[in-house]
Amino acid sequence: MTDPQGSDQVNVVEARDLARDYDFGADRVHALRGVSFDIPEGDYVAIVGPSGCGKSTLLNLLGAIDQPTRGSVRIHGESVAGMSDRNATNFRLRNIGFVFQRFYLMPTLSARENVELPMAEAGLGKSQRADRARELLRYVGLAHRERHRPSELSGGEQQRVAIARALANKPAILLADEPTGELDAKTGSEIIALFGRLNTDGTTIIVVTHDEDLASAARRKIHMRDGLVVDP
Amino acid sequence: MRFALAWSSLRRHGTRTLLATLGVAVAAAMLLDMVMMSTGLRESFRELLLSRGFQLRLAPRGTLPFDTDATIENTTGIIAKLRANPAIVTVSPVLGGTIHVPVRGKVVTSAALGVNPLVQGDYELLSGKDPKGRDDIVANDDFLRATGARVGDTIEVSAGYDPQLRTYAGSRKMVVTGRARFLYGAAAQLATAMQLSTLQEMGGPDRRDDSSLFMMKVRADAQVESARAWIERAIPEVSAISTSSALAQVDQRLSYFRQLALILGTVSLFVGFLLVTTLMTVSVNERISEITVMRALGVSRMHVVQQIVLEGIVITIGGATAGLGLGLVTARYLNGILSSFPGLPVAIDFFLFQPKAAWVSLGLLSLSGIAAGVYPSYRAASLPIATTLRQEAIA
Amino acid sequence: MLTPLFAAFLLLQQPGHRTIAIDERLAEDGRISIGDRLTISSTPGSLSGDTVIVSAIVKRGADPAEIARSEYRVRMHLDHLQKVAGYGDRVDRFAVSSRGPRTIDHALSAINATAFGFQAWRSRDIAVETSRTFQVVSRFHKAIGLITIVASAIFLLCIMLLKVEERRRDVAALRLMGISRATVVKGIVAEAALLALIGCALGVALGWVSSQFINWYYQGIYRTPLYFSLITPGIVSLAVGLSLVLGIGAGFVASLRLVRTPPLTLFGR
Repeated sequence: MTDPQGSDQVNVVEARDLARDYDFGADRVHALRGVSFDIPEGDYVAIVGPSGCGKSTLLNLLGAIDQPTRGSVRIHGESVAGMSDRNATNFRLRNIGFVFQRFYLMPTLSARENVELPMAEAGLGKSQRADRARELLRYVGLAHRERHRPSELSGGEQQRVAIARALANKPAILLADEPTGELDAKTGSEIIALFGRLNTDGTTIIVVTHDEDLASAARRKIHMRDGLVVDP
Repeated sequence: MRFALAWSSLRRHGTRTLLATLGVAVAAAMLLDMVMMSTGLRESFRELLLSRGFQLRLAPRGTLPFDTDATIENTTGIIAKLRANPAIVTVSPVLGGTIHVPVRGKVVTSAALGVNPLVQGDYELLSGKDPKGRDDIVANDDFLRATGARVGDTIEVSAGYDPQLRTYAGSRKMVVTGRARFLYGAAAQLATAMQLSTLQEMGGPDRRDDSSLFMMKVRADAQVESARAWIERAIPEVSAISTSSALAQVDQRLSYFRQLALILGTVSLFVGFLLVTTLMTVSVNERISEITVMRALGVSRMHVVQQIVLEGIVITIGGATAGLGLGLVTARYLNGILSSFPGLPVAIDFFLFQPKAAWVSLGLLSLSGIAAGVYPSYRAASLPIATTLRQEAIA
Repeated sequence: MLTPLFAAFLLLQQPGHRTIAIDERLAEDGRISIGDRLTISSTPGSLSGDTVIVSAIVKRGADPAEIARSEYRVRMHLDHLQKVAGYGDRVDRFAVSSRGPRTIDHALSAINATAFGFQAWRSRDIAVETSRTFQVVSRFHKAIGLITIVASAIFLLCIMLLKVEERRRDVAALRLMGISRATVVKGIVAEAALLALIGCALGVALGWVSSQFINWYYQGIYRTPLYFSLITPGIVSLAVGLSLVLGIGAGFVASLRLVRTPPLTLFGR
């Protein structure tokens, strides 16, 4: 596949002939039909396409929260297809950062505690994770809101906390599924700007989106249709 | 972090958590009461039997002590035979009877024990002196109140009442030398004690050398059963009852309460478990998306289960702690009812608090709290992440 | 059981021996049959005494006072027992039947005034006095029942609250559609009533089965024909009535709580 950064770049993601089928009763749906691409370190890729083309399915496979029916995917050189649940969970904890459309913050925890959650799971000490959580909240511009619960934050603020949480364990890649889908245009553009800053600072980002502005902000796009990568 | 998450989840639905904790408290109280009842009577009775150190009791053959009006003849001869056994250290003969005291135109009737004050094991002297003289008598507070007598007073005492002739076999003036608490006395029962020979005389010629019961101390606990067997061979007109056989008899007679305790205790435990399970299931079902996201973030299945089980344990332990206090209150109430059994020694408790009972109850409830949370949380943590997130998003 | 003919035959065979009747428990434990010869004495442990013939085996009565007592019962002719026990011409009591209820009071006062050293009582009054033990047990059972009812009320309320809250999104959707609070409450209460009715039916069936088991079990343990558990129409009515009130009440309280919450809040917004 294309490698716009040049052949000396290290690939963070290597997907080969990825396919995912779903069975709905007697019917079988081919959500992905054989997708192959590489994503080098430091890249910022937007996966775009019409609804039902398999974008989110692809993201789930890259994030090791689903298993392919066929094909392979390597993240940072490690094959995630066929991993046991325990290994996949541990892999996600240390290598993948997820940002969801609906934020999915823990409603009973404060902003800081939400960011600390993955670090606590990774075994970091209390003061260590508190310090890092504050640092991340400062980075996303929410240092003054660390004690607030999600219900006390706006949509944009919640998404920024979610992004900080995704960065907690210094993941190899940041995966975002429609991160601006629940936000208004102004707030959405703030998130787009944040993603840009993250990438500039070295984070590899893969977003799935319908948002043209977000897609344009990425360095490159991967177009999909009917479960396949297509030329735009 | 896990505890913080569990605690904040519980606080999120305060009313629900409070009600569930209250429900567990009631189940815990009932469970504690039943555990106490299953062992209380037995332990209480055992403590009473051994309170003065007497390990063996002799009663007329085929009866239990004071179970019938039957007496054992030839007290003097029997004591001599018993003392011949070197394993037997102390012999305390007791004769039970009834005395009548005229007071201001009416007659007060009281239970009377004829004892050897030097070796008796039937009462505890609260004030005054033992009845060492032939005309001495000690009495409990109920008797003193009913007769208006005080320590030092002389009262007219009669015994051996013949209802046919309406006469007494023996009457004499006796001096109240002491106030006593009768260990085997029922609540509000009038009770007195005097010299054994005095009560025997007052009972008429038929009771000259009778006793109702012998209590004995044996040299060492290990020799109790062999002493018992020896007595049954040497003195066939008596039944020898050790503490353990007395307890076995009580167990048999009151097995109903132990079985009731087992059934009610099991039901309480089950209901408590059901309550926590329902709460955990509903709570987990409401938080499927949160749980799935935690899994997506990299939280292991085991840690998700631990966090949810922790919530169940918090409710269970909180409820059990509250239930401890509630259980002690209800035990007192129930004990008050059962203690009014006619003829039951006031020293007997059906519900005896032993720390072991509390630990057993807490342990059982904690286990049920853990079990209640395991299945629903494991099920939720095992859901396929991608599919569940999509379904939750659609929902 | 012995026929009169056989009893007469035995008497003819053993002209010197009196006959006694023993209870079924003694017959079973001692493996004693009708026609067996026994020696009876009033002295414990004595090997000598009167030789008698067992002429009948008597069923034990359903007497609560005999529960958990392992005594045996022997019936003898009065004069024979007086002789064996050395009582002389004495008895412990007389049982008297009168011509009818109206003559009892007259008979009581006449006996108490006339007889020397006697006290006459109505059988009913004696029964009350001797059943104090069972009054205690009855009070205990009532106390347990009361505690159970309180506990059940709390459990029901808690579980109903949980189950109703599980459906808060459905309720929110209905309210947003314009369905009134009263209709929603009625619907939930109707469900609670149905559940309560089903629960009652199951509970009564379970109670009946348990009652049969309890009687079978304790009659075996205590070897008595006494009934330990009795389900009467009154008890069923009380249980059903209470359960319905508690179940419907819990459903009502839980639904009221839900409909008072704004629909959007129920959706989690």
